Amino acid sequence: MSSSMALRDLQRDLESKANDLAKIQKDIAKDHQLRKKYTIQLGENELVLKELDLLEEEANVYKLIGPVLVKQDLAEANANVRKRIEYISAELKRVDASIHDNEGQQNSKREAMMKLQQRLQSIQAGKAKA
Amino acid sequence: MASSSSSSSARGELEKMGIDQLKALKEQADLEVNLLQDSLNNIRTANARLESAAGALNDLSLRPQGKKMLVPLTASLYVPGTLDEADKVLVDIGTGYFIEKTMEDGKDYCQRKINLLKSNYEQLFEVLAKKKSVADEAGMVLQSKVRQLQAATTS
Repeated sequence: MSSSMALRDLQRDLESKANDLAKIQKDIAKDHQLRKKYTIQLGENELVLKELDLLEEEANVYKLIGPVLVKQDLAEANANVRKRIEYISAELKRVDASIHDNEGQQNSKREAMMKLQQRLQSIQAGKAKA
Repeated sequence: MASSSSSSSARGELEKMGIDQLKALKEQADLEVNLLQDSLNNIRTANARLESAAGALNDLSLRPQGKKMLVPLTASLYVPGTLDEADKVLVDIGTGYFIEKTMEDGKDYCQRKINLLKSNYEQLFEVLAKKKSVADEAGMVLQSKVRQLQAATTS
């Protein structure tokens, strides 16, 4: 009697842990997408910075804002691109840390689930013998 | 010598794996191979666009100033115009920035980008070749295992 209740509790616990694990995995997948996006943006901005550095002082720089090409100062363009690169690098680091944390949580959840499954199996094996 | 011994040790690893694991590994490797193929295709397309841009630049530099030309306003509407200064070009460097360059620098820019893409393509191709060989090996080992299993169960 009590053992079947313990069985049900264990199964419910396993289910809830499985749901948690699925949620963590979805978060990890979303973080990976984000990481990809940031890496691409970082690469593009670094290319732009390189090109801007190759320019001479008086060369004309234009920025596309909507449908308008606006003349920009070379120094200002440099500063803007550098700031964007800083921001994207910081975001990338944040996403990496989040992925690291989530992966740690994922592993510990998996271990907990495995232990639960083992207990479940041993109880069921015990009941089958009885 | 070294490469054959490393591939045979990899094969030994593959042989040790169970059929399910092997199947999962092969599927994973196939997925990665497809992704790499797509990336390679993208690079090839981008390279083609850059080459046509470089060609257009070259052509433009040959035209004299004041030459009559048709300027596209939309995909189906062209208006007549005359070529002004062909010495300055606007280059799109990404993230919405455009820089004014001389014709020479513009051609140089195109060439630089083409070279960059070519080296990326070659690096990616090498990675693809390695992944493909892993996928093929896994497939062969999987097939032989399945055959072994069938022979064992039918005999």
